[in-house]
Amino acid sequence: MQIDEGRLREALGKPAEHGEDLDLDEFEREPGVRAEVDEDVRRRSLEVGVDLGKASSLTTFLQVDHEIAYRAIQKQFQGDIELMPIQEAVEKHPWVREHLWSLVSPYADKYTAYNALKSAGGFFLRILEGRRLHMPIQACFLSYSPGIIQSVHNIIVAEPGSEACVITGCTMRRRDQRGLHIGVTEIFIGPGARLNYTMVHRWGPSFHVRPRTGIALDEGAVLSYNYVLLGAVGSFQSKPSAVLKGGNAAVSMNNVIYLDGSSRMDLGGDCLIAGRGCRAELITSAVASGRAKLAVRGRVVCEADDGRGHISCRGLMLSDEAEVYAIPELVSRRMSASLTHEAAIGRISEDQLVYLMARGFSREEAESIIVRGFLDVSSLNLPSFLEESIKKIIDLAVKGF
Amino acid sequence: MLKIENLHVAVRDRLILKGVNLEVGDGEVHVIFGPNGSGKSTLAMAIMGHPEYRIVSGRIIFDGEDITEKPIDERARMGISIAFQNPPKLHGIRLKDLLARIASENGVGEKFLEIVDKLNISREHLSRYVNVGFSGGEIKRCEIAQALASNPKLLILDEPDSGVDVENLELIGRFLSESLRNRSALIITHHGHILRHLKPMKAHVLIDGMIACEGDPEQILSRIMRDGYRWCERCRLMRGG
Repeated sequence: MQIDEGRLREALGKPAEHGEDLDLDEFEREPGVRAEVDEDVRRRSLEVGVDLGKASSLTTFLQVDHEIAYRAIQKQFQGDIELMPIQEAVEKHPWVREHLWSLVSPYADKYTAYNALKSAGGFFLRILEGRRLHMPIQACFLSYSPGIIQSVHNIIVAEPGSEACVITGCTMRRRDQRGLHIGVTEIFIGPGARLNYTMVHRWGPSFHVRPRTGIALDEGAVLSYNYVLLGAVGSFQSKPSAVLKGGNAAVSMNNVIYLDGSSRMDLGGDCLIAGRGCRAELITSAVASGRAKLAVRGRVVCEADDGRGHISCRGLMLSDEAEVYAIPELVSRRMSASLTHEAAIGRISEDQLVYLMARGFSREEAESIIVRGFLDVSSLNLPSFLEESIKKIIDLAVKGF
Repeated sequence: MLKIENLHVAVRDRLILKGVNLEVGDGEVHVIFGPNGSGKSTLAMAIMGHPEYRIVSGRIIFDGEDITEKPIDERARMGISIAFQNPPKLHGIRLKDLLARIASENGVGEKFLEIVDKLNISREHLSRYVNVGFSGGEIKRCEIAQALASNPKLLILDEPDSGVDVENLELIGRFLSESLRNRSALIITHHGHILRHLKPMKAHVLIDGMIACEGDPEQILSRIMRDGYRWCERCRLMRGG
């Protein structure tokens, strides 16, 4: 896609439709310190499900600030996938350039514009036609230098009939670090391909995050798009959008959120059903504690026959100073479409607490069992090591509660 | 094991139990009969220590200790356990995980799997969220498994036979008759179906918040089956008069 630089510069002044507006000039463009892949980095990566040491995944990609610090593909999988820095991919495969900015508009807001002008890194992942990979593909982005904007652009192409599970972990070296992460990700799922794409994020109270994601699904393509955020974030705003172009495609966006401190989060999901018999599901389970404020915006538009859409938001309030705001939107343009939504926000039920206390658990233990259950990820079909590591992170996050 | 003295219990502002006296000895199994609304579940909840059931006066002594003021979790840790009649659903909490945790906290360890097998709880059932989408029989079996996973001294069973089909009733009855050996238990039942498989040593009939009659379980049950609870009401009136 041809990019108009004048329009980009104009868009640099354009706030996002939702979420807190940030002044990009308050952040650093370049890292002030040189990053090292030390024990800290390894530990942080592990916290977001990315194991740099083990052969538990078939491939690993690690970007620290602007630099690709580590990448490896196990030998036996080299003919099944391609994983490389995005710049390298553009040189190797000229067609990749056509994919860039085809699902996310660079002029959408200041964050996309900044990314288009000053993207540094990101990965290109291609799962070759018909390959079924049963080990996860891992990618990790870590912010190291204080105050920096990490701006990356990723492209994922799941070719026809392929199957894979991708885990991306995003985090930072120190929990008290300032910074901004802008991640543009464009995901192309070919006919009959199946992808499980899971993001695990851990940030800190002074860190800001603006992911921008566009997804296209061809006929019979299936995507499970899972987002897990635990703990505090300065501000977060994202509204991934999926277009279900081919018939009988299915997307399920699942968000598992535990928000504490003074976090501000505006999390959306936007699905357009454009092919016959497609299904779109947006499922959010969110726990809000402390003074955290969370908005959940789900939108499903159906423009094709026999489309089905469902939005569900469950919110658990752990504090009177927290806020959960659920805004489901359904737009139907077909008689045969079936679109539904449900939302329930409440506190921990006293009945459940008493029930568990009658089993000998203290009130605190019972509360923590219920919160962990609320954030259950075992239905997301994750590889067992990732499920276990997310459970551990949840345990840490809800410990103080 | 359990001694209840002149117990008065209110739910919100309504007095439900109006002076219950009851004693269950070590290793004894007692049954409580009573019509709907007579206060059977209230008695169970008050012994367990459910916070919504306020003890207005009277005392509950368990294992030689006055537990009237003790909170529910402490009573559970002392060895009282209950199989609820209408338990809440616990989304996100798998039956297996909960049972394993109850068992490990009470030193039962992996032995809870024996309970699970004897109650015919399948692996699939174990992997489901507690009480979510369970059938009537599954709820009862899951409640009994949880109640026994803590290896209690006193087991309270609140209507273990209501809403249960014949097969499940037989399974539960057989299992209980085995598990209640050397354990004290209080079984609450409206219909008395469970007595086809269990032989408690004593029955108490609760009418309008008071024990109206006590005696041999089989004799009392056959009288209730024949004449209904009206018989007990008359009996109580006669006794009171």
